[in-house]
Amino acid sequence: MDFKKLLIILAALFVVISCNKDKDKEDFDRKAMLDNMASAVIIPQLNSFNEDVISLNTAALTYTANTNTTNLQDLRSKYVIAYKSFQKCKMFDFGPMSDQFIKSSMNTYPTDTVQIELNISQGSVDVNAASNIDAIGFPAIDYLLYPQHQSTSAPIDSFSTGTYAIERCNYLLAITSKMKTEMAIVVSNWISYKTTFINADGNDVGSSTSLLFNEMVKDIELLKNAKIGIPAGQQTGGQTLPKYVEGYYAQISIDLAAENISALKNIFLGAAGSGFDDYIKDVESEDVTTSLADNIATQFDVVQASINNIGSPLSDKVDTNPTAVNTAYLEIKKLLTFCKTDMSSALGLLITFQDNDGD
Amino acid sequence: MTGISQIRQFFNWHEHTSAAPLAVYRIGFGILMLFSTMRFLLNGWVESQYIEPHFHFPYLGFEWVPYPSESLIYSLFIGMIIGSILIILGLFYRFGAFLFFFSFTYVELLDKTNYLNHYYFVSLVAFLLVLIPANRYFSLDTRLGFTNYSKTCPKWHIGLLQFQIAIVYIFAGIAKLESDWLFHAQPLKYWLHSAHHYDFIGPILKQDWVAYFFAWFGCIYDLTIVFFLLTKKTRPYAYFFVIVFHITTWLLFPIGVFPWVMIMATLIFFEANFHERILNFIRLLFGHQEAKRSGINTSLLPKKMTTALIGAYLAVQLLIPFRYLFYEGNLFWKEQGFRFSWRVMLMEKAGYAMFYVIDPKTKSEIEINNSKYLTQNQEKIMSTQPDMILQYAHYLQDVYSDTTVIQHGVSMEFNKPEIHAEIYVTLNGRPNQLYVDKKHDLAQIDNDLSERKWVEDFVK
Repeated sequence: MDFKKLLIILAALFVVISCNKDKDKEDFDRKAMLDNMASAVIIPQLNSFNEDVISLNTAALTYTANTNTTNLQDLRSKYVIAYKSFQKCKMFDFGPMSDQFIKSSMNTYPTDTVQIELNISQGSVDVNAASNIDAIGFPAIDYLLYPQHQSTSAPIDSFSTGTYAIERCNYLLAITSKMKTEMAIVVSNWISYKTTFINADGNDVGSSTSLLFNEMVKDIELLKNAKIGIPAGQQTGGQTLPKYVEGYYAQISIDLAAENISALKNIFLGAAGSGFDDYIKDVESEDVTTSLADNIATQFDVVQASINNIGSPLSDKVDTNPTAVNTAYLEIKKLLTFCKTDMSSALGLLITFQDNDGD
Repeated sequence: MTGISQIRQFFNWHEHTSAAPLAVYRIGFGILMLFSTMRFLLNGWVESQYIEPHFHFPYLGFEWVPYPSESLIYSLFIGMIIGSILIILGLFYRFGAFLFFFSFTYVELLDKTNYLNHYYFVSLVAFLLVLIPANRYFSLDTRLGFTNYSKTCPKWHIGLLQFQIAIVYIFAGIAKLESDWLFHAQPLKYWLHSAHHYDFIGPILKQDWVAYFFAWFGCIYDLTIVFFLLTKKTRPYAYFFVIVFHITTWLLFPIGVFPWVMIMATLIFFEANFHERILNFIRLLFGHQEAKRSGINTSLLPKKMTTALIGAYLAVQLLIPFRYLFYEGNLFWKEQGFRFSWRVMLMEKAGYAMFYVIDPKTKSEIEINNSKYLTQNQEKIMSTQPDMILQYAHYLQDVYSDTTVIQHGVSMEFNKPEIHAEIYVTLNGRPNQLYVDKKHDLAQIDNDLSERKWVEDFVK
């Protein structure tokens, strides 16, 4: 009889405690976070990138039809806008984006200028062929529009009077129209994929939270290695590789990197809505002095500042300002450490379907 | 009855008792292993865990185990399937049990990335089943006359299997007697959170008190369940808790077939008449035939020898989990003596490991892209486990020794490079801290049982 009483008291106690706690912690809804990510971050960015790719293609048509300085300036500015816009989308490399291989087909660099010239001289070339992966996309446009960096005469000559001028025009158009076609498919497929994305609200390998988190981290790694590390010589024993920067010919590497890190931060925050920061705060115990989410948000800002601090163009700065380049590299490393250790632990996302017994 | 005679009774391992619990255990274990092997195959895990990786992390002392070809790996899994079917049927039983034990353990030895306590448990039980003639009752071997029929067996046949279960529970319970588990409910708090997409119970699971309740309940359960299972009066209630406990863990955590193995295995604590009822049910389904041959089974070994061997096995099992006492430093951090000790669900560790190959003469260094050599899963597990970090570092030294590396159009010569690593790790929700400092040349550090002084100390 005493035992029964004890049980009733214990049960009552639990109910009281749980009611109290319910008031403190507002309920975090992973599905709502995914909905916000899709509606406020991913889809708007994909749509605007799609617009920018359409404008780029239109500007390329205008320029090739009428090769003059005004049209070149316009095309160049459309190229820069689209390339920056791409920096906000490339981390969504799952679902419709990965089906179209957008990430690799639009941005494999350094571009192979020999291959590009060969393709042009041959007249008709299949830009969809796997062998042309480093002769298409933004890096190829970068080379075609800025063969001698900022000089305007060089591209005007090569597109109007130079040998293979017509072939060069056609090649540029083949690249921009491929980009336009593929992005149109991505945008249209996201309309139905949105539901799939929001409904995969578990924490397993295929879940959307896991996909988004992994791609975000992968993109920060790319920022560290491809954008900064490789040109700075991190993988070549300290020998710098200026031509390995992104947007080498237009000399816009730093702008692209800055655009990229701010887009990554925007994902972390879920724009103005529910994002990874809210998720982390929900998991954290209430007695932490500074939230991990705030630490990570601050580190995003530190990275942003350290990138801007390098100065432009990065292809020169890897040799003339190695301290600033290295600082940016180290700050990105710190950000990655936060993501790969503390954040990954807190979110409890699984990386394999395999069983585990938690050790 | 006096206490002494009870103790004597307890230690009289050779006294005979009904063999029914053993027969049910054999069949149950076989069915679950068959199911588990099929599941492993159908999920494509053979491919992702054993064929995809280029590099493997063998266990210390088992580096000599040859890595099988793709078709041989599949043959080992076929071996497990045939082995478990023979165990179920009790047909060519010794061969079947050995085939299962050998192929299962062989696969486990290939890469410690895949270590799980419950795989270790399966290996041990399979080993015991090779030694215990569990085919003398209710088996095809007796029906076909391959072995003598015997309705009874020595008590140690059953006692040893019960002991193995007791080891798992009690050591798992002892391991939970630490502050992260009891006073911070970590890592449970994090893990329960991940399950919060469940309707209705989701919001409850994320409450702190639930994590504490699970932590304390789990600990008390592990420490005491065996004693309640051993006592006749409490047994049915205890088994009810076994079911509730394991089904709960099965629902909340991705722990595969382990809960079902424990639910099946703990049946061995029940009395003979309970198991006879199960066997009668099977007889009803498949028809019953008398055994062809009955007689006295003679043991291969003299009784005293058997007693001594059993005693040695018990001692080893009791001592191995305590080997961590030989080492200084935090057990969860440095993981010396962590495996093979039934430390289940105690850690949430995540790391970020950057490796550097450095030429000792020119000091020029290159950063390694780990995904070039490791699968995502291997990289994740390696970055928090010191012995695997060393194994990988030694592998990198081999790869970069006496070689010309051409990377991004730059050619670099390496003769006997140094391998350095900078690693950060988080443990049970604490902020990440430095795990391995870049100053050590890991290529110079042997992977052995000595103190891991090169791992940074854990700061609470």
